[in-house]
Formats: sequence, structure tokens, C-alpha cells
Amino acid sequence: MSESSKSKSSLNLNPSPTLQCKDLHEYLKSRSAQFLETLYNYPTICLAVYRELPELARHFVIRLLFVEQPVPQAVVTSWVSQTFAKEQAKACEALSELSVWQEAPIPGGMPGWMLAQSFKKNLKVALLGGGRAWSMSSSLEPDGKARDVAFLDAYALERWECVLHYMVGSAQTEGISADAVRILLHAGLMTRDAEDGSAVITRAGFQFLLLSTAKQVWLFLQHYLHTAEKRSLSAAECLAFLYQLSFSTLGKDYSTEGMSNNMLVFLQHLREFGLVYQRKRKAGRFYPTRLALNIAQVRGVGAAPLAAPAQARGYIVVETNYRVYAYTQTNLQVALLGLFTELMYRFPNLVVGVLTRESVRQALRGGITAEQIIHYLEQHSHPQMLKSETGGIRTSSMLPPTVVDQIKLWETERNRFTYTEGVVYNQFLSQADFVVLRDYAKQQGVLTWQNERSRTMVVTRHGHDDVKKFWKRYSKSS
Amino acid sequence: MADDDAPSDSSLLVIIVDTNPNQRYITEDPKVLTNCLDAVIAFANSHLMQKARNELAVIGCHFHKSEYLYPTPGKPLDVRQIDGQYELFTLVEKTIKMRLVNLIKSQPPEEKPGESLLAGAVAMALCFIAKFRREATPGLRITARILIVTGSSDTAAQYINYMNVFFTAQKQQVLIDVCSLDKHLSLLQQGCDITGGLYLKVPSLEGLLQYLLWVFLPETSERTKLVLPGRGRVDYRAACFCHRELLTIGYVCSVCLSVFCKFSPICTTCHTVFKIGGPLPIKPKKKKMKV
Repeated sequence: MSESSKSKSSLNLNPSPTLQCKDLHEYLKSRSAQFLETLYNYPTICLAVYRELPELARHFVIRLLFVEQPVPQAVVTSWVSQTFAKEQAKACEALSELSVWQEAPIPGGMPGWMLAQSFKKNLKVALLGGGRAWSMSSSLEPDGKARDVAFLDAYALERWECVLHYMVGSAQTEGISADAVRILLHAGLMTRDAEDGSAVITRAGFQFLLLSTAKQVWLFLQHYLHTAEKRSLSAAECLAFLYQLSFSTLGKDYSTEGMSNNMLVFLQHLREFGLVYQRKRKAGRFYPTRLALNIAQVRGVGAAPLAAPAQARGYIVVETNYRVYAYTQTNLQVALLGLFTELMYRFPNLVVGVLTRESVRQALRGGITAEQIIHYLEQHSHPQMLKSETGGIRTSSMLPPTVVDQIKLWETERNRFTYTEGVVYNQFLSQADFVVLRDYAKQQGVLTWQNERSRTMVVTRHGHDDVKKFWKRYSKSS
Repeated sequence: MADDDAPSDSSLLVIIVDTNPNQRYITEDPKVLTNCLDAVIAFANSHLMQKARNELAVIGCHFHKSEYLYPTPGKPLDVRQIDGQYELFTLVEKTIKMRLVNLIKSQPPEEKPGESLLAGAVAMALCFIAKFRREATPGLRITARILIVTGSSDTAAQYINYMNVFFTAQKQQVLIDVCSLDKHLSLLQQGCDITGGLYLKVPSLEGLLQYLLWVFLPETSERTKLVLPGRGRVDYRAACFCHRELLTIGYVCSVCLSVFCKFSPICTTCHTVFKIGGPLPIKPKKKKMKV
């Protein structure tokens, strides 16, 4: 028989990698407990982490906030009704994962929960006051050339679009700094062209473009923080500063006084991406823009658009006959639309396309998910779409339900295969040998597939060693 | 009340604080008001802390008028960060305290404090909610609720006004929560029951903030998952329109459903004249005919 003739079938498990966008919770989860400990020294981070927690977890935190001694776990359990025990377990897990609370024994031997000291202290500071002011000191005399909100919005949008335009390589903008290019390359959103070394967009890059602006900024900053450590910037300090920005007030100026040199460098980077506005490099004051404020809201981006600046109003109308009308002039938006629609006509201010099975499948092949397409259409839908009724059908989306369903169906029809890695065993000499090995594999729970007639079986990858050993023992003894 | 199970994008909370100086706990020790107010402000800020898009309004309710304490009409105060507190929270705290001082100062000096105008304040809150909903971005899911924090005693003088605002709130899918600091309030409890809100009489004023955070902070969708104090039995007695007394049995106008404790030939609300039939005619006994 032929254990020797096993052939490895190593399939690519994930044929079209989809861009991962972690939220703050997942990002923090992936970091060490020590890193979290330093983070919780900043009231802003505590505030942001609190907002990212599941609902029930927030309830637990707020009830424990003013309790000084550990609280029995059984008591915490009794706060939630029995029918929602699963959600409660999830909430407890989230709190432990982020080390917001720790297990603490209670005199009497019962296990108890206690909020992490620094987290508790700093959340209280953020909520009720006290402690030191955040590092952006605000003792400034009024700015002679104060900027209003509309100006800041326009500025932020222009800077951010600059990055996006650079990615699609449209010629209508000036370039961006080497640092920004390095981040794009690091994130895998762009790659060096093999021939002339110029940066070109990747598939992941196109998926990035389909995200909402808030998510784009957050993803970009995540990669920035990854590379930050190499440039002797502390990620914790940067993150704390980012959240300070996100909890500042739009249209107000803040002083750069008292900021460390590293933070001033960071500020200049943020200025380049449009997260803050500064008139001059040495101006001594800066204005946070809406981009910075939205970092804290990555998670809440549902059907409803953020209070978007007037220029970024939706421009897409989708009809039940799968036609897509986009009132736009920029090449970027047309190129994005072209990813998943078949473009039909182009007018000076209007592009008409149609969603077809072929065009959507092509996008899906490129690793774009149906969810991303639907979300993009929703996010940029024309104000008129928001007003229109969906013919009495209640949906969470303002798009025609038929279109949404069909796009999802087109996606699921591609997902008829599930891939698992495994090892094939075949050419057994006797039926008995086959049956013994098959039953053993089945017992171990590592059998993926078997066929008695052709005496073939497939064992999962991690079960292979075990089965091989068993087979050696078995063939020796017999 | 709302039929959605999904948590909303934004939740609007309107807090009505009763600042009437003739509440018992204030007349006993005026300093307690400051403590209670601090608790309410901390609670208001915790509401804003829940989600970035949560909204807040605070209405002060006095015996001569009700007024918005937060947000201020017109330009907001120019508040800069002083300590580690989130700037928005500082703004809320400063605004409420400043406006409350103005409200208390504006009370007419010679008048004896009367009853708090709670029903009017609720009506103001409903107006605020309606306006907020109208101006919100389309597609945004908003839930709204009202929290009344009061130590006044129960009177039936505003019975009709109360009932009007309760049913309006029910129609607008606005929850009314009541936190009573002193006595049991049967009328407001009815309002909670009608609109699906929670009623709690705080056993001690020291732990006010904890009670507020425990019972009133969770959103509607969250409340079903938590173990919260039971609704209990609700006293549904109506007040008569003539003497404002709570009744178990009374007379009801057949046209406008006004309630009276004594019979009157003309309805004072809709001026219907009732025909009095006099005592029911007694049927003459039929004489048994002997055959």
C-alpha cells in the first residue's frame, strides 16, 4: 500500500484575499497587555475604548466605576436576565481581552471582578474632571485669522483626496510625500512596478478606495502606527494624541506648546493627510478637522452617512432596473464605479452604468465583496435616494431591495466550494487496511473525505502526522 | 415602544430637572440640591459618553416657568479645557450651572412658590424631540426618551395636561422615565406605564448617581436584556375635573369622557346638557288574574 504515494494537495486557502479593516477593539486585542497598560494612562484612550465596548460591557463598566472593592462574578451575572446569557459571556470576554477588568478574589473565596486601576481612574477623570489637562494646552489668545468649519471641511477633503488621487495615479494633483508613499506600500495598497519602480495600485488598494472615508483614515493610520515604531515614535503616544484630536471640538484652535519633538513630527504628518490644519509649520496652533474627529466613529458607520461636509454629498442613484446614475466629474469616482458596473454613457456631469452579473462577478474575482459594493453605493447615494420610499418594503438600506439581494446572490453563487488543506491516502493493498486507517482517522476527527470503492481518503493537514504514525505502527505489527 | 431590536445610531435624552424650592428635600437642606444636580450632570455626561452621536438636552422646571439649561439657544459658551475632563463634558457642566443660576434668579421674589410646571416641561421636551427628528439626516435611526427627576409631591391639578403629554409621547414613541426623589407619584407612574418607561422612587438620595446609572442609562433595546426594578402595580385612578381629586368611582360625561366626582346637569368641559330621567319608573305590579 502506499502511504508513500500520498500526494499533498496544498490549495490556496483564500483565493481572493479581502482587505481587513480592524476596528479599535481588534487592534488593541492584538497588542500586548503591557501596551494596553500604558494606553490606559490616557483618559482619551479610556473614553474611546469604553465607546467601542459591547452594550452590556459598557453597562458593567459604568456600574463598577464607583465601586472600590471587587464585586463577585455571580453578582455581575445576576444583572443580566438569563435569556441573554450568551451576550453576557461575550461582554465579559471583551472586557477581559482588553484587560479593562481583572479577576480578583473576594474574602470568602468567591471569584470577583475588579476594574483595572488606571482604566478606572482615567475614565473617571474624563467623565467628571480632575487630573492634568490633556497635552494640547489651550491657553491661546484668539487667532487673528480664525478658520471656520466650512473651510476646515474643504481643506480636509482636499488633502485626503490628494492621497486617493495619487493612488489611482490621476494626473490632476501634485504628489504626496515619501512618507505617505511608504505607508501605502507597507500596507500593500500600492506596489512598486517591476519595470520602472513607480508605485501602482494593487487590488487591496481598490478595495481600500471603496471603504468609507472614516474607515480609510483609520486603516491608513493603523499602518502608520505600525511603521511609527521604526521611526522612533511611540505608538502609544501617537494613539493617545490621535484620540485627543478625535475628542476635540471642531472649529477650535489648539496650541502646540508643550508637545514633544516626536509629536510635532507626527503632527506634521497628520497635517499632510488633512487631519489637522495648520497655517504655517511654525504657527504654534492647529485646528483639528472632521477627518480626525471621525476616527472614534469607525464602528458606527452603518447605513447613515456621517455628518458629511457639503461637498461630499452623495451622487449615486440606483434604480430597480440595475441602472446606476452617478453625478460626478472626477475620474476617481468614475474609476471606482467602473470596478463593478458596466459603464454605458458619459456626460460632462453624469455617468450612466448598469450592474450586470458579469461586471459584478469581475469585481468579486478581484477580491471585492458584495458587502463592500453595497456599502459603497449606500454611502454615496444621492440625497434623493434617501428620501424615496422603497414601495412599502421595509429595509435597512435605501437601495432597491432587488438590487441588494441580487448582488448578494451573485456573491454566494461563487461560494459553492469550501477549501480545506489535506493529505490524500490511496492505493491501499487491501480493503481491511483501508477500513482500519479510515476508522482511525474518523475516530480522531481528522477525516475530511473517503471513498471505499477507490480506497481513497483525505485527512486534514494537522491530523496527517498522527495518522502516519498510526499506520507505521499498524503495518509493523501486522 | 419602538419595534426595532437593533440598537439605534443615535439616542436623544431629554432630562427634566425639577428645581422648585418648595420640594421637601430642598427645604430641609438646601445643599442637597447641589449634590443632586451634580449627580444629574454626571449622568447626563455618561449618556453622552455611551456613543459619539448621542444627544442631550436638559430642561429646568421651576414654579413660574421652564427653561432649557442645555443646549443654549444661540451660540454655545466658549469653554476651554481646564483639567483632564473631556471638553464637551466641561461645556455641559458649565452651561447647566450657569443657566440654572439665571433661572433661579429670575423667579418673582414676592410670589409664594407653587407647583412645578412638570407637564409643561414635558411638552417642551416633546417639541425639542420633534424638531430634532425633523432636522436629522434621513436614514439615521433615532430613539428618544425623557427623564423626569423630581422631588415634588403628587397633585392632580395638572391632570389633563399630564394625560395630554403622556399620550402624545406614546404616539411619538418617546419613552418617559421618572425618578422620584421623595414621595410616590402615582400620576407620573401612569405616564411611565403608558409610554413604556421605567418608574423608580429612590430610597436614599446619597446613592442617586448609582441609581440613575443603573436604571436609566441603558437604552430601550438594552433594557430587555437587563434585570431592572419591576414595573409593579400602577394606580390608574383618574382625577375628577371639578375638584382634582383621585377617584375610584365617579360620573363620566358620555360625550367627552370628562370625569366628575359629583353629578352635575351640564358638563363643564363640553357643555352637554344631560336629560335627567328622574327615578326609574317602577313597573306596576301586574295583578295576577285569578281565573
